[in-house]
Amino acid sequence: MSPRVGHLLSAGNLARLGFQDTEATAAGLARLGPPAEPVLAILGRTADPDLALAALLRLHEAAEDRDQLLRVLEDDEGTAMRLLSVLGMSQALGDHLVRHPEHWRELTDPTLGSTRPAAYALRDALLGAVEGRAYDDAVDALRVEYRRLLLRLAARDLAHHVGIDDVAAELSDLAAGVLEAALAVAREKVGEAAATCRLAVIAMGKCGGHELNYVSDVDVIYVAEPVDGAVDGADEAVALRAATQLASTLMQVCSADTAEGTIWPVDANLRPEGSQGPLVRTLASHRGYYERWATTWEFQALLKARPVAGDAELGQAYVEAIAPLVWTAAEREGFVENVQAMRRRVLDNIPAHEAKRQLKLGSGGLRDVEFAVQLLQLVHGRTDPSVRPPTTLSALARLTAGGYVGREDGRSLHDAYAFLRTFEHRIQLYQLRRTHVVPEDEAALRRLGRSLGYLKFPVEELEKTWRFHRREARRLHEKLFYRPLLAAVARIPGEDARLSPEAAQERLAALGYVDPVAALRHLEALTGGVTRTAAIQKTLLPAMLEWFADAPDPDAGLFGFRRISDTLGRTPWYLTLLRDEGETAQRLAQVLATSRYATDLLEREPEGVKILGEELRPLSREAIQAEMLATSSRRDDPEAAVRSVRAVRRRELLRISAADLCVPFGVAEVGYALTDLTDATLEAALAVAVTSVSRARGIELPTRIAIVGMGRYGGYEMGYGSDADVMFVHDPLPGVDPEVAASMAKAVVEELRRLLALPATDPPLEVDADLRPEGKQGPLVRSLESFAKYYAKWSEVWEAQALLRAEPVAGDEELKERFRALIDPLRFPSRGLGEDDLVEIRRIKARVDEERMPRGADPATHFKLGRGGLADVEWTVQVLQLAHAARVPGLRTTKTLDALNAAVGDGLIEAADAEALATAWLLASRARNATVLVRGRSADQLPTDPRDRAAVARVLGYGPGETTTMVNDYQRTTRLAHAVVERLFWGA
Amino acid sequence: MGKQEDFVLRALEERDVRFVRLWFTDVLGFLKSVAVAPAELENAFDEGIGFDGSAIEGFARVTEADMLARPDPSTFQILPWRGDGPATARMFCDITMPDGSASYADPRFVLKRTLQSAAEEGFTFYTHPEVEFYLFKDHPEPGMPPVPVDKSGYFDHTATSAGSDFRREAITMLEAMGISVEFSHHEGGPGQQEIDLRYADALSTADNIMTFRTVVREVALSQGVYASFMPKPFTEFPGSGMHTHVSLFEGDRNAFFEGGAEYQLSKTARHFIAGILHHAAEITCVTNQWVNSYKRLIGGGEAPSYICWGHNNRSAMVRVPMYKPNKGQSTRIELRTIDAACNPYLAFAVVLAAGMKGLKEAYELPREAEDDVWSLSDRERKALGLEQLPKSLHDAIAIAERSELLAETLGEHVYDFFLRNKRQEWEEYRGVVSAFERDRMLPVL
Repeated sequence: MSPRVGHLLSAGNLARLGFQDTEATAAGLARLGPPAEPVLAILGRTADPDLALAALLRLHEAAEDRDQLLRVLEDDEGTAMRLLSVLGMSQALGDHLVRHPEHWRELTDPTLGSTRPAAYALRDALLGAVEGRAYDDAVDALRVEYRRLLLRLAARDLAHHVGIDDVAAELSDLAAGVLEAALAVAREKVGEAAATCRLAVIAMGKCGGHELNYVSDVDVIYVAEPVDGAVDGADEAVALRAATQLASTLMQVCSADTAEGTIWPVDANLRPEGSQGPLVRTLASHRGYYERWATTWEFQALLKARPVAGDAELGQAYVEAIAPLVWTAAEREGFVENVQAMRRRVLDNIPAHEAKRQLKLGSGGLRDVEFAVQLLQLVHGRTDPSVRPPTTLSALARLTAGGYVGREDGRSLHDAYAFLRTFEHRIQLYQLRRTHVVPEDEAALRRLGRSLGYLKFPVEELEKTWRFHRREARRLHEKLFYRPLLAAVARIPGEDARLSPEAAQERLAALGYVDPVAALRHLEALTGGVTRTAAIQKTLLPAMLEWFADAPDPDAGLFGFRRISDTLGRTPWYLTLLRDEGETAQRLAQVLATSRYATDLLEREPEGVKILGEELRPLSREAIQAEMLATSSRRDDPEAAVRSVRAVRRRELLRISAADLCVPFGVAEVGYALTDLTDATLEAALAVAVTSVSRARGIELPTRIAIVGMGRYGGYEMGYGSDADVMFVHDPLPGVDPEVAASMAKAVVEELRRLLALPATDPPLEVDADLRPEGKQGPLVRSLESFAKYYAKWSEVWEAQALLRAEPVAGDEELKERFRALIDPLRFPSRGLGEDDLVEIRRIKARVDEERMPRGADPATHFKLGRGGLADVEWTVQVLQLAHAARVPGLRTTKTLDALNAAVGDGLIEAADAEALATAWLLASRARNATVLVRGRSADQLPTDPRDRAAVARVLGYGPGETTTMVNDYQRTTRLAHAVVERLFWGA
Repeated sequence: MGKQEDFVLRALEERDVRFVRLWFTDVLGFLKSVAVAPAELENAFDEGIGFDGSAIEGFARVTEADMLARPDPSTFQILPWRGDGPATARMFCDITMPDGSASYADPRFVLKRTLQSAAEEGFTFYTHPEVEFYLFKDHPEPGMPPVPVDKSGYFDHTATSAGSDFRREAITMLEAMGISVEFSHHEGGPGQQEIDLRYADALSTADNIMTFRTVVREVALSQGVYASFMPKPFTEFPGSGMHTHVSLFEGDRNAFFEGGAEYQLSKTARHFIAGILHHAAEITCVTNQWVNSYKRLIGGGEAPSYICWGHNNRSAMVRVPMYKPNKGQSTRIELRTIDAACNPYLAFAVVLAAGMKGLKEAYELPREAEDDVWSLSDRERKALGLEQLPKSLHDAIAIAERSELLAETLGEHVYDFFLRNKRQEWEEYRGVVSAFERDRMLPVL
């Protein structure tokens, strides 16, 4: 060996060339002698140099003309490249060469680089291989010949970079030839009877579409007729029997596993009635079936039907008979539902752990691209024959040319599909196995990456390119389905062809829009004109349309978007924000197509869209209050001041509800946020009212005022529709006439209520003071002293119970503390809860349950008063609080869940019982909030309208079609809580 | 649309069917039917047929009444009893809400859910019912005691018996509808008949029982007699039960069979029986849902009143039939409580759920009852730990109200409606002054 070669064999150089096992390589190369040097250079460009060299050595061993082999490798670079590329990619073809070493000479053919073999040539070769042989012999010979031709094709593919569409077409031609040869073998075997029938083999699926994989089932359908001249039914029966025998023998010939291996399985299950139906039918029977019984997916399959073997005339007659039916399929009843169901199936069917490594299934997978293209063909091919080619890439090109798909989108989808298919081919070539899963081991990835030309950083480059194309394909539906809709209503620069309005309506309906005419009108309005606004809308809308379609109410989403865009259209930040911040746009779509409550807020203040672009988290009470006080203090007119406070409140309601919808957080946290917001609002409004009254009367306020939250407000548990239940307390300053102080306090409170109730565009804040002593008969505001006197004299147990939820929320800090000190002994009585008191509470509850439940309300789904609903749980907890709060500090809280936890901690209630109560309470609270969000109005029970109910289920995290499961879960959860209430509250 | 829908549409054409009856079952087990023309059927497959659920016992409140009946094409059958003219066919339906989610009020969905959760454990559930009923001479008149068509007894055969004509015609009709009949004979009471259906998966069997009741009534009408599945029409004669043989299969292997084990009963079978016994009292109000059902259960004879099992013991609630050599696949247990007036979907669902619970929790099988339970004294029964089944609908309801198993299995809607309805039935019954009271008391008080 020359010194130069010695240098070449250094470990460093070998590693640079891509060898892993440098020692074995050096030893192996040494065995080749002088040809090692040119061979080495070529090995360095193969997918797997180690594999290629090992296979070459085995071939060298096996070949009788091994000297000749080495000479050719040394002298003929083209042949060396072809041979080594195959050996470095495909273990299976390497094994084949070792078994049939004479086949290496196939690769010396210089025309391989330039000439695609004609389909008839392939067929003749395969027919020649089986001719005159006995059955078993012919079956083996067919396998060997098939592999010989496959070897030539693989060499062309790997060494000469033939386009993926050509490779796939050539594979299909090869398959057609195999079917023809197998039919010839079958005819020999069946014998005389075979002469009674004409049989045509129609290829379906990838083979029919001229886009077969290296390894794949070959889908076929058989048509048979008696030979000409036969007329009566008996002849037909005889012919069909013979044809069936032929067909099943054909399948056997292809799929049988012999000493020479197998070719591929032939799958006839796409035939009418699938595996239940007869294997072979006459032309009339096929036609009858498709005219009457076939379903959408069957027509989709027929898009690719192509006669490939057997009686060519009959095959042609079949295609001519079926084609017109295919192109009217889109007019059939239920087409749209089927399309939607199929689309969902493509996306749903794939187990999560495989999803990331799958080329075929899942969103943006090969199947997804193929299905989407076929659906568009079915929808539009009826009126436009130009989009009918059966091959995915050709069809995509025609759809693009016809304007059904945008030009850019068409190109990027083409690239993505071509890459994914090539990638799939390379994965399959290794062992000639049918697989669509990207391997995870480093060596396999390196081989695949190098085979695609990434010699430098094969694994990283491969992953990067794959990620890129997958991302492109993932937005497939947006590109294929939604973007062209805009072209139907707007002129898109550079697109010379466009979707007709009728075609656009069809599509919208297929995508779940109930009123496609209105939807199209909105699209037209949004994209009209040549302004910059319209241009941005055109890029934005396709994605929005898809997000709307995924939400409970797509029509409402689009309509809401239009109204907001009408208001904000020219505002500079609006569309830019949506365009540049994908997340903001998606949130907006979700809010609009789910929640009337949030949509109303947005429509009243479209500026709120900005909030969706921020981190969606409620602001603190301090921050809100500071802003409210600042904005109101800048206004002299009290009405204007409170309006500004209420505007802040409206904006914060939007923030909370949008956060709740888009980045769900706990229902308890929603309660805190809404309570904080109410606190701040009351605090600011109180300040305005005090200023207003003082100014009117010309004196400083002679008393301190505080507001005490009651009920769910006092418990930090407000929902979207909740009123603010409060009591007002005041305490005259020293030396002030109590009458004057009382009159001023009353004026302030009345002014506060007036200002908050002024008609305005924000959701009103009802300030309800009916829980005060003596209810509506009592004074609206009492002095602290008067409260003390009242409670000393009149206190009933229900009042103590109500005070459990009393929390001073706004006004004078000192007074708040003193009020708390006043009521604590009442609500946390040191004597606990007496028997009489307990009876009284139960009696009141019984009456409340009876009387307060509205007529016609469903006790099973009423949030508050329903069986196991909010009131049941709260009363149960409150009884425990009244009885034990004096002793157990944790029970001295206004919050239901905190009190429940404290009760568990003290052993007052079993953990399992508390769990049942808490679960029901949380679910009822969540369901109530969800219902208000969906309906835009306060609500007491699960909506009865099916669409609203379904939307509530979606907000609560259930999938489409799981609405009744949600209702059942709600009823079970509350029933279990009710059983606990029966035991603990009612003592049953 | 799938193959089965296609098959149905084709059959409609070929058989010249003019009407298709879409059948479903209300919560109490009464058959409901909507007729549609074949032209509407394709649409019915795609979208379902809308109807007002509030008009059906136990289905919906007035405010949420819109429901859809979606025909199950695998249940398609031509109805054989409408003479020679244009044919009528029937299909059972699943009930859904307008948004496509399944209705929890649909008894068929209750059974499907329960079968599904068993399937998730790898089991399919097979049942084989022996349905008993009486034939009377005339349509019942209020206040008049019914008159049986004959005075024969168990297995009697008389050439001119109205009953045997009747059975022959009923069986022909059932077979024409694809329902295989195993066995039929005259039962113990005068005019009482028994027809056994071949075993099949529980959903098909439940559908078949609904069909069976209709066929039997139809044939009776055509012969000028009246058929009734009332559990206990006579104080002095045996009631009509529906002894049901049940078994679990894992794939095509009978999961109840274990060669060499005692009575060839596998562990699975033992836990399953234990489950049924453990929850027997809870599920009784579904398997025996009428006030009258309990008159059968406390009447002795073929009907059990005690919660126990026994090998070939006809007084036990669960009987393990004698094992026949080399018949491992037919290993099964016989549940003798169920009566012929149950809602078969709900009854099979609760039996399966109870058995599966036993399997899941690996309940111990209590000791076998070896004696005729009826012949024991109260003390003996107490010593043996034999508990009695609920003695009345009232007792059964009280136990059912505390049953989580029942609630989970039936679903909240059916559980709630069913118990409410049964409480009402009991209240109405309790208030009625009966012939017994008048006969006893009027003469002496």
